[in-house]
Amino acid sequence: MKELLKQKEISILAIILLIGAVLSFVSPVFLTVGNFLDIIEGNVVLGILAIGMTLIIITSDIDVSVAAVTTAVAVSIGYLFTYLPDSWISVLLLFLIAPVIGLVMGLVNGLLVSIIEIPAIVVTLGTLNIIAGIVLYITNGNYINSTSFPTSFMEFANYELLGIPILIYLLAIVAIGTWYILKHTLIGRSVLAIGGNTQSSVRVGIDYKKVKLFVFAYMGVLAGIAAIAQTAYTKAVDPNGMLGLELTVIAAVVLGGANIHGGRGSVHGTLLGVLLLAIMQNGMILARIDTYWQNVVTGAIIVIAVSYDHISYKRSQDKLAKIEVEA
Amino acid sequence: MKLSKESILGLIALGTFLLLALIAPGFLSSNNITSMMFQLPEFGLIALAMMVVIVTGGIDLSITYIAALSGVGAALMLTNGYGILPAIIVAIFFALACGAFNGFVISKIGVSPILVTLGTMVLFEGIILAITKGNSISGFSDGYSLIGNGYYLGLVPLSIVIFVLFAIITAILLSKTSWGRSVYMYGSNETATLFSGVKNSRVLMKVYLYASLLAAISAIIMTSRYNSVKVDLGSSYLLQSVAAAVLGGTNIHGGYGKVIGTVYAVMIFQFIRNGLNLLGFHSSLVDVVIGAILILVLAMNFFSDKFKKVAETRKAEKAA
Repeated sequence: MKELLKQKEISILAIILLIGAVLSFVSPVFLTVGNFLDIIEGNVVLGILAIGMTLIIITSDIDVSVAAVTTAVAVSIGYLFTYLPDSWISVLLLFLIAPVIGLVMGLVNGLLVSIIEIPAIVVTLGTLNIIAGIVLYITNGNYINSTSFPTSFMEFANYELLGIPILIYLLAIVAIGTWYILKHTLIGRSVLAIGGNTQSSVRVGIDYKKVKLFVFAYMGVLAGIAAIAQTAYTKAVDPNGMLGLELTVIAAVVLGGANIHGGRGSVHGTLLGVLLLAIMQNGMILARIDTYWQNVVTGAIIVIAVSYDHISYKRSQDKLAKIEVEA
Repeated sequence: MKLSKESILGLIALGTFLLLALIAPGFLSSNNITSMMFQLPEFGLIALAMMVVIVTGGIDLSITYIAALSGVGAALMLTNGYGILPAIIVAIFFALACGAFNGFVISKIGVSPILVTLGTMVLFEGIILAITKGNSISGFSDGYSLIGNGYYLGLVPLSIVIFVLFAIITAILLSKTSWGRSVYMYGSNETATLFSGVKNSRVLMKVYLYASLLAAISAIIMTSRYNSVKVDLGSSYLLQSVAAAVLGGTNIHGGYGKVIGTVYAVMIFQFIRNGLNLLGFHSSLVDVVIGAILILVLAMNFFSDKFKKVAETRKAEKAA
């Protein structure tokens, strides 16, 4: 039990429950199944991207191009719709094509980071500029609305299984898949090892470049899936719709307990981080807080959360040092 | 002959200038040169601020919102009938307050800069929104608009004079004062710096204060030039300023970075932006070119380093 309480994820869960308890008093709508499904469905894209970002942050890197990559894939999907026949096969085909487009862009990032050894923040800053620029040039900033979408895709987007929207299943599949990779595969364990201690992990024979390439490629694939989710959720392709989302994604991952210096992070933690941001957003609307003040609250909570986390981390480190001295 | 990183960048800047002068019609006209001089300072100051922070191994994602908030401060004073000087003082005060907050959380609590400034970025944006309700504040006095639009001695834009002045001040502070040396030391090895008797937290605090001061100066120039202020004042400069600092040779992990390199990088960006515009390129393609240059230059650094290493080992083998 003590072990469990020490886990970072538990403290995030506690914050979420606290906010949830307050909100359920403030608004009777908050604690309804419908509201919860809305909250989750509205944050599927953020969730998928944050899961991919978790792997990158665990290896102590960062990817600021995610929103641009997702937008690029979404725009490609929008153009593809005019060529695809109107049947279920197109939707399946989409799930093959979109991740591949994302994968290619992720591989470019990954190759530049692992082979050319440019710091990830600089590489992704560069690709962010390049991809976003090309997308704006091609689309001219105009968005593609659902009239050109095949009806089969619209059916997919509105599909509900057992009363739960299909997109939530998509997020669940991505989350479970990634959790499995991190926990039970060689490459997943290598990701954690590299983040924990790069030098030692290289010495035990982990291929550093391969792991770096993998995390960025995986991020690309997830960006492709997120693009489908975004298109299905908004029923439109907006080239400017995800401007600045990359920073929200990073915030969610960090709130979820991943260490920006690497080595620490988990899929369920990240999901809790996403949930925290989502509930705050939803709660502030339900509590009728002035829209203009919402960012103040969100920003303050992020600063407080990361500070609190760091202070408790420092305390635990201090304790560790003491034990060593006494022994 | 061995050229430093910065001199090579200077040559690249000169090369871009000459190339664009040849192919872009009207690039060399006095009108165009002046307009470039009017556009450069606001971005240049933000890039310098970002550079100083990056030298310590950090990053300041809130810098453009600090600038916007300080612009709002100046605008509130001006529209309420105060003079120019009080407005400037309030602008600087607002920025320093933001910088002090960042500095406090980063240096005293010790949270990593990217996380703190990610949070304060949202926080400051929220404060601006709460003050302005998302509207823009505009209509300043003529005297104030001279800062961004006026000429010094009737020849050079006043704003570029301010920029050069602050670039020189930054260079002197970084290379000639003990604070500046500690900034580089902290950037290359935090622990060693602490053990050699430097008060790390004080050095860091000053870094974030100085960066926010530069942001305030940039904000004053921007508000004066546009004659209005909104929540997104200068926000497009955020990632660009990181790009400029890095292109200027600043090590993203800290410990190295020179003012002149960043100035050259800012100039290259300005030339390209302006030149491609004159050539009739779509404005979004400028971003593509800047992104490509950023990656190319760093890839070239990597290959030249590798080439040097290969050459050195060969030499060593021959000697053996």
